[in-house]
Amino acid sequence: MTLKDSLIVLFIVGAMSLVANVIGTPYGVIESIPGLLILIAMAITGMAMAKFLPGNIPAVAYVVTLACLLSYPGVPGSEYVNAYVKKVGFLQLCTPILAYAGVSIGKDLDAFAKSGWRIVVISCIVFIGTYIGSAVIAQCILKALGQI
Amino acid sequence: MYNFKLHAIVLILIIAAEMIGNISFKIGIGTIVLLPMLYALIMGIFTAPKFLKIVNLKDMNDASSLIGITLMLLMARYGTLVGPTLPEILKASPALVLQEFGNLGTVLLGIPVAMYFGLKREAIGAAHSIAREPNVALIGERYGLDSAEGRGVMGVYISGTVFGTIFFGILASLAAAYLPVHPYALAMAAGVGSASMMTAAVGSLTVMYPDMAEQIAAFGAASNMLSGLDGVYMSIWMALPLSEWLYKRIYKFKYGVEPSGEDAAK
Repeated sequence: MTLKDSLIVLFIVGAMSLVANVIGTPYGVIESIPGLLILIAMAITGMAMAKFLPGNIPAVAYVVTLACLLSYPGVPGSEYVNAYVKKVGFLQLCTPILAYAGVSIGKDLDAFAKSGWRIVVISCIVFIGTYIGSAVIAQCILKALGQI
Repeated sequence: MYNFKLHAIVLILIIAAEMIGNISFKIGIGTIVLLPMLYALIMGIFTAPKFLKIVNLKDMNDASSLIGITLMLLMARYGTLVGPTLPEILKASPALVLQEFGNLGTVLLGIPVAMYFGLKREAIGAAHSIAREPNVALIGERYGLDSAEGRGVMGVYISGTVFGTIFFGILASLAAAYLPVHPYALAMAAGVGSASMMTAAVGSLTVMYPDMAEQIAAFGAASNMLSGLDGVYMSIWMALPLSEWLYKRIYKFKYGVEPSGEDAAK
């Protein structure tokens, strides 16, 4: 997909998110638009960087890093960025994505059904793994530093 | 992307889902929260040819080709959640920073168990991280969400969204009761990269150690911000390569041959 196509898709999803935001948050159409436009600009810039910069780094990393830097307090313009994007709900951005995901899952339904219960079990294992792993490391370091 | 029928259907799903809004109910040990995204997903699945026959194969393919880009918008918002917390993060103690590597515990525990249960490439998506938004976006970009890896990461993402909060609340109390680990260490571990999961774990800990409540909450929040910052990088450069490596080893051990065909890394 070319960058121009990606931008069109971003605008379509942006419009969907706008609807979700207007229904799901206290903010109206006019209040939600600037934040969404900022997010679209960040997303397309990050995707362009992934395409043209060397290193084969995924666009996800560029987009997150770019958005992080532009909202860092002290960076020129960050107060505007933060004031506007705050009016775009994080959960409302998830709704359109999962709606598209739901439609697309239809074609892999059998595969999903086959691995379904296993994935639920794995989820629990994964949660336990990250929690215990982090707790054990934190315990060792805190002990080594004499902080506990 | 010019499939207007698809976009119209999705628009209706979004409106319906957001109109229903959040539903949460207590089940004794904690709260289960159902979010609009979940209804959107389920209603989306029901449009399939298998159920209501609203969409056809082309609509489903078009939808899956768009998801990768739609996730970028969410990732931009995600970054702007992390940015304002950066000054706080930069003050973090070494223990707080180093415990982030504990998130690799998901790989070491999750991949073997997933493969023991017979999952193959799904294991990579399911167990390389705790599958929050950045991990979903990364797997979507690298493998496509309609791949086996994509099914794995989506499955854990949805599980986490539905019962992750309650699970972490219980897990933290159990760990505090039975593990010889200091409450501060448990608080730092609570920051897994999801605000609701962290809050639940911290909530359980503060009930058990009320006199340390403030420190526990601070460590939990700081560690969660840190996970938000390093989650993507950690997945790209450590967790995914480690998962692929472990997958290959276990595959050979279990099936006696190198992974090939659709079982091999793309």
